[in-house]
Amino acid sequence: MPKSRIELRFGGTGGQGLLLSAKMLADALAAEGKHVAQSQTYEPTSRGGFCNADLVIAGGEVDYPLPIAFDHLVLLDKMAIKPSWPRLKPGALVIADTRLCPELPAGDVRLHHLPLSRTALELGSERVTNIVALGVLVEMTGICKRKSIEQVVRADAPRGFLDLNMDALAAGYALATPVPAAAS
Amino acid sequence: MNVVDTRRAKPAAKLLSGNAACAAGAIAAGCKFFAGYPITPSSEIAERLATLLPRNNGVFVQMEDEIAAMAAVIGASMGGVKALTATSGPGFSLKQENIGYAAGAEIPCVIVNVMRGGPSTGMPTRPSQADIMQSRYGSHGDYPIIVLAPASAREIYDETIRAFDLAEICRSPVVLLYDQVIAQSSETVALGAAPAAHAERKRASGPRETYKPFAVGADGIPAMARPGDGYRTHTTGLTHGEDGFPTQNPEAVDRNLSRLFTKLDHHRELIDSWETVRCDDADVVIVAIGISARAAKRAVELCRAEGKRVGLFRPITLWPFPEAALREAVKTARAVLVPELNLGQLRHEVERLLGRDRVEGINLINGEPIGPAQIAARASQLASEA
Repeated sequence: MPKSRIELRFGGTGGQGLLLSAKMLADALAAEGKHVAQSQTYEPTSRGGFCNADLVIAGGEVDYPLPIAFDHLVLLDKMAIKPSWPRLKPGALVIADTRLCPELPAGDVRLHHLPLSRTALELGSERVTNIVALGVLVEMTGICKRKSIEQVVRADAPRGFLDLNMDALAAGYALATPVPAAAS
Repeated sequence: MNVVDTRRAKPAAKLLSGNAACAAGAIAAGCKFFAGYPITPSSEIAERLATLLPRNNGVFVQMEDEIAAMAAVIGASMGGVKALTATSGPGFSLKQENIGYAAGAEIPCVIVNVMRGGPSTGMPTRPSQADIMQSRYGSHGDYPIIVLAPASAREIYDETIRAFDLAEICRSPVVLLYDQVIAQSSETVALGAAPAAHAERKRASGPRETYKPFAVGADGIPAMARPGDGYRTHTTGLTHGEDGFPTQNPEAVDRNLSRLFTKLDHHRELIDSWETVRCDDADVVIVAIGISARAAKRAVELCRAEGKRVGLFRPITLWPFPEAALREAVKTARAVLVPELNLGQLRHEVERLLGRDRVEGINLINGEPIGPAQIAARASQLASEA
């Protein structure tokens, strides 16, 4: 496997906007000149069921477009844990929602259990949980520039929901930044 | 009017799904008509063309079902325009009768079949490669057909354009066959400028009084009458003679039906297409299409890194099968491995050509793709035995 190849997944349930997050990130990466393959599996229902959106990022042309083992995993529903967890690379980054994935298996991972959906609710809509997660991922991994993802979100967000989406992205950045421990 | 900026040497890469690439390719090829009935995982082609065709002086029709959609495509082509339909397994089954009509009556048209798990309605959102034989032999009777099997978004764009060209040149239905993963995955693709010139069917010309709709010259392709040009023509699904009217005269029937096959033989140089990866010294050659070929490509690299001499032969034209190229590719190979998402349809053809002794398959029918590691493991083993 070429070292430059990075594989990641947005895992959850149908209707959470996982595919949208993956497509936005893929567009941002493509704009930066990276080679990307974005794939997904979903159930034949418009809501519910295990759903995932995956990205393979490479310096050159992507030969096999599907992920083999994840460098990064975003979990927005417990349904996605079982099919995704065994495919984590050792030391992989896992970003999981505290409310929707309350319990996680043990493993050699860098786990960030964060209130993604609660943050989205506080912003005004649980529907932007995917964008909060996207903000966390971009900030933690530096996988693309903030500017690149912001440009895509600006272009893709439905009119009337742009501010909410930009706020969600910013909230994601903030969640990714550890709060300095208070002096005791 | 679309103006293409040719000053830009390298177009920016954009994220494009296989199905979106197909729609873009159809427009670039000069397609002016789409009729279809939406079905997962092909619906994005119809969705895109519903927007793109009206903007490009074309017509989009959602029909009542797949049978009618195929009929409408044939009608549009007889009316003189390049026409396309897109579907998946269950819809492809429904279209078969009319695909046979298009083959027999020599109506140029393009049919996309995005393969999902079957039989019947099967697995709408999971990949399969189990329509390989149906794409060739799905309609009744003896007839030839061209089937192209692209393996990436970029290649779907190119092969869609080529499908229209071949349909026009050979007066034949052409099937674009690819799986759900290739269809719905998006990849960064840099599309160049659309081809400036398109292949066009041979049109009736010369004196109207002596025109015979199925009379041919050396290339075996009859000139097609365009409505309004004043040539008398007749089209039927019944076996017909040079005048286009039904006949069961054995000599006339044999001449016309045999010509359907020989006309493709005359154009094999245009039709045949394939890719080889490191076959020159290979002890083991993998033969695969679609997502299985993408996995095999990685498997070749994994094996080569271990010092195992493994190569890949990937038919891009699936039917007629590029047999001469396959024989050349396996010249040094002592084993041939055919990974596919069915129980041996591609292997069946490879065995027919190479014999059964050195050919084996890796088969999966549970809706999951075959990964590179599984192919590499078996190929590596075979290379060690070889």
